[in-house]
Amino acid sequence: MTFRQFAFRNVTRNKRLYTAYFLSSMFTVMVFFTFAIFAYHPVLSAENLQSSAVIALSVSKWIIYVFSFFFVLYSMSAFLQSRKREFGLMMMHGMTTRQLRRMIFMENMLIGLSATAGGIGLGIVFAKGILLAGTNALALKEPLLFYFPFKAVLLTLISFMLLFVLISLFISAVLRSGKLITLIKADRQPKQEPKASLLLSLLVVLLLGTSYFLSLRASGLEVVMLLAPVVIMVTIGTFLLFTQLSVYLIRKLKGRERFFWRRTNMLLLSDLSYRMKDNARSFFLVAIISTVSFSAIGALYGFQSMLNGSLTQKNPYLFTYMSADGDSQARTHIQLIDQSLSKAGIAAEKTGLELNYYKAADGSQTVVLVKQSEYNNVAELMGLKPIQLAAGKAAIVDFGLSRKGEEMLHQPVKLQPGMVIEADQAVVSPAVRAFSGYYVVSDEWIGRLAQPLKVSRYYAWHGAIGQQGVQMVGGKLTNELPYDEHYNFYALEYQTSKINDNFGPLMFMGFFIGIVFFVSAGSFLYFRLYSDLDEDKQKFKAISKLGLSDKELGKILNRQIGLLFFAPIVVALVHGAVALTALSHMFQYSMFRESLLVLGLFFFIQVIYFFIVRLFYIRQIRSALAGS
Amino acid sequence: MLEVRQVSKIYEGNVAYRALTDIDLTIDAGEFVGIMGPSGSGKTTLLNMIATVDGPTTGSIMIDGKDTGKLDKNELAVFRRRELGFVFQDFNLLNTLTVEENIVLPLTLDGTQVNEMKQKAQEIAGKLGISAIMKKRTYEISGGQAQRTAIARAMIHSPKLLLADEPTGNLDSKAAKDVMDLLEAINREQSTTMMLVTHDAVAASYCHRVVFIKDGRFYTEIHSGNNRQSFFQKIIDTLSLLGGYSNDVPPVRIP
Repeated sequence: MTFRQFAFRNVTRNKRLYTAYFLSSMFTVMVFFTFAIFAYHPVLSAENLQSSAVIALSVSKWIIYVFSFFFVLYSMSAFLQSRKREFGLMMMHGMTTRQLRRMIFMENMLIGLSATAGGIGLGIVFAKGILLAGTNALALKEPLLFYFPFKAVLLTLISFMLLFVLISLFISAVLRSGKLITLIKADRQPKQEPKASLLLSLLVVLLLGTSYFLSLRASGLEVVMLLAPVVIMVTIGTFLLFTQLSVYLIRKLKGRERFFWRRTNMLLLSDLSYRMKDNARSFFLVAIISTVSFSAIGALYGFQSMLNGSLTQKNPYLFTYMSADGDSQARTHIQLIDQSLSKAGIAAEKTGLELNYYKAADGSQTVVLVKQSEYNNVAELMGLKPIQLAAGKAAIVDFGLSRKGEEMLHQPVKLQPGMVIEADQAVVSPAVRAFSGYYVVSDEWIGRLAQPLKVSRYYAWHGAIGQQGVQMVGGKLTNELPYDEHYNFYALEYQTSKINDNFGPLMFMGFFIGIVFFVSAGSFLYFRLYSDLDEDKQKFKAISKLGLSDKELGKILNRQIGLLFFAPIVVALVHGAVALTALSHMFQYSMFRESLLVLGLFFFIQVIYFFIVRLFYIRQIRSALAGS
Repeated sequence: MLEVRQVSKIYEGNVAYRALTDIDLTIDAGEFVGIMGPSGSGKTTLLNMIATVDGPTTGSIMIDGKDTGKLDKNELAVFRRRELGFVFQDFNLLNTLTVEENIVLPLTLDGTQVNEMKQKAQEIAGKLGISAIMKKRTYEISGGQAQRTAIARAMIHSPKLLLADEPTGNLDSKAAKDVMDLLEAINREQSTTMMLVTHDAVAASYCHRVVFIKDGRFYTEIHSGNNRQSFFQKIIDTLSLLGGYSNDVPPVRIP
């Protein structure tokens, strides 16, 4: 056995410990490689039109790269922690610190190289299928044919070799072997029970409470402004939640002997409190990573369903046309639209209203007035609620996310002598597309005003969504009536499908990145559990001698593993749910169904993961007990 | 061969604890010395310091003319793998390696040729009667076999000094006898210097000389005569004196 063989055998004969780490590294490499396959695909790189998709692919590739850097770093240092005693033993037999570093370097490189090779190999095997799926997701007209991704292989190989070499060097360089005697006694020395302060524990409640309160209350664009402070507060809060509050609560529980001394509670809690220091870090990492992946996937899914659902439901018109004052072409354009519709056999009803611009008497602002009868006509056709006005009062109407109306309420504006306009209600309605902050006033009132400054005419073609040919006609008309300062043509379904086309790649990549995060979060938990396995074996051996039934053993382990698997995930689910709720407030669109689906799916996967890991862990412990 | 001069060890901590006080011990080349004493008397502390795993607070330890306190970390590592061999109560075999690989570990670390390692491992396994289990993993063998593997590992590089910490502590009486016979044979045939820390009077009776320590201080030492039975009896008598209160066993009863 040479030194190299020795290092290799340390890894290959310790498969149980390294499997999860190896698989998740391999998976990360595979995802990176997949993105590289797309980015270097001849069709994509040749076609300039798709450059935005290619850029997005490259960016997500490097996000994954940076993430895997930290993932590998963290996992490696976690492994080294659990092998202290082994190192002590080797040093006792005369291993120098340099040899120890060399051994760790070689072990890391072995895992790294095989993960890289495996990831690339799997990537090539699945390349055809992934390219097919990508063709749909990226909404390409030309199918992506299989090619041998030489460049992608090279890029992945070099990037990850570099990553593993750097991390292995770094880890082995910073490895401090410490005193030999402490290494040898590493697993016999009791870990210090972490301390918790009441003040910091209360800070958790404050931080998380404030963050939740702010995010749930925020509406519209406030959400964007609150994003950074809330993220920082939640991150700190979550860290303190696991390092302080949980320790504090466990201590309090331990203090209550009536609870603590009941059956298996004592075993579970004392164990928890001693491992909390190690657990806290993993819990925090897993909770944050899972929150990011839940929110990202939930948000992307929500966006997509919003684009398809809400835009078309809440904007019940096929086309709109707005002609500003003095547009001589308006008549020809309207005719063109009408003709195109009837030629394509599309059923649509035309409606419209006039937007009257007036200057305030003091010249400080311009207001836009719409006749109540015209507005209600349009509203009725589109199935919206008509506006009822109180005598002498007006209503302000907003579109989409805009909330100008609330600010303009009860603020009288003098238009002409004796004519003062004041709104007593604010309405959000899609009656006029992309136009906000106009007053709806009674016909009689507007009749008493002098000539308006200018008049814009707004036309809307209302019809059933999803009729055949609408998208095509929309595209044709959009080309014939390009954007101009005098008029504005908008074809809803055509624009929506265009957004969808751009959104596809984003969804595709976001989904992949989210999955990578989630998989690595799972493997963090697996490391955490398995680094305690030997200690658990010892402990349960001792306890089973005192008399612990199989059922009780199962119960303790169930709770122990359950806590490990679900404490961070539940926190992440709550964070994710709050984030998605805030998002749905921002867009005024209920993403409840989508959030529930995404969060539920993740929870379900976690449950399955829990059962698999539990099965193997309990089997391990039982076999250790049977062997004694 | 081994000279321990005025060694004291104090463990710093919340409560400073004095584990050893002014210990002097000399072991000649080829000698087989046992260290005995009650629990907490400082036997293992002394062994750890001789093993260069731990350093003395005051005093010096010379092995084969080298002051171990003056070597740096790397020199110590090389020193341990060339000059010292270790046998522990709980075997301390690496469970990722096979029996054979465990045995050759010190040579592997030293960068020896594979052929030479193979040959040496075969040789020593033959002597210790573990040739048949060379390809097995550590969890597939019995306690006695594990300890013989550990002895083979401690012996393969022909160390100048072999240190054994309760080598029979985890073994049944048959396996314990085998292990002690082995150690004695190695000591006799290869004149390896050995130091044995033990609780077991039977194991100690294989030594040439047994040193007793109590509460971190040298207590007494007795030498083996020609007969192992009578040496065993002497050890038992000394232990009974050492373990109890002095008024339990009046000194006049000592033969």
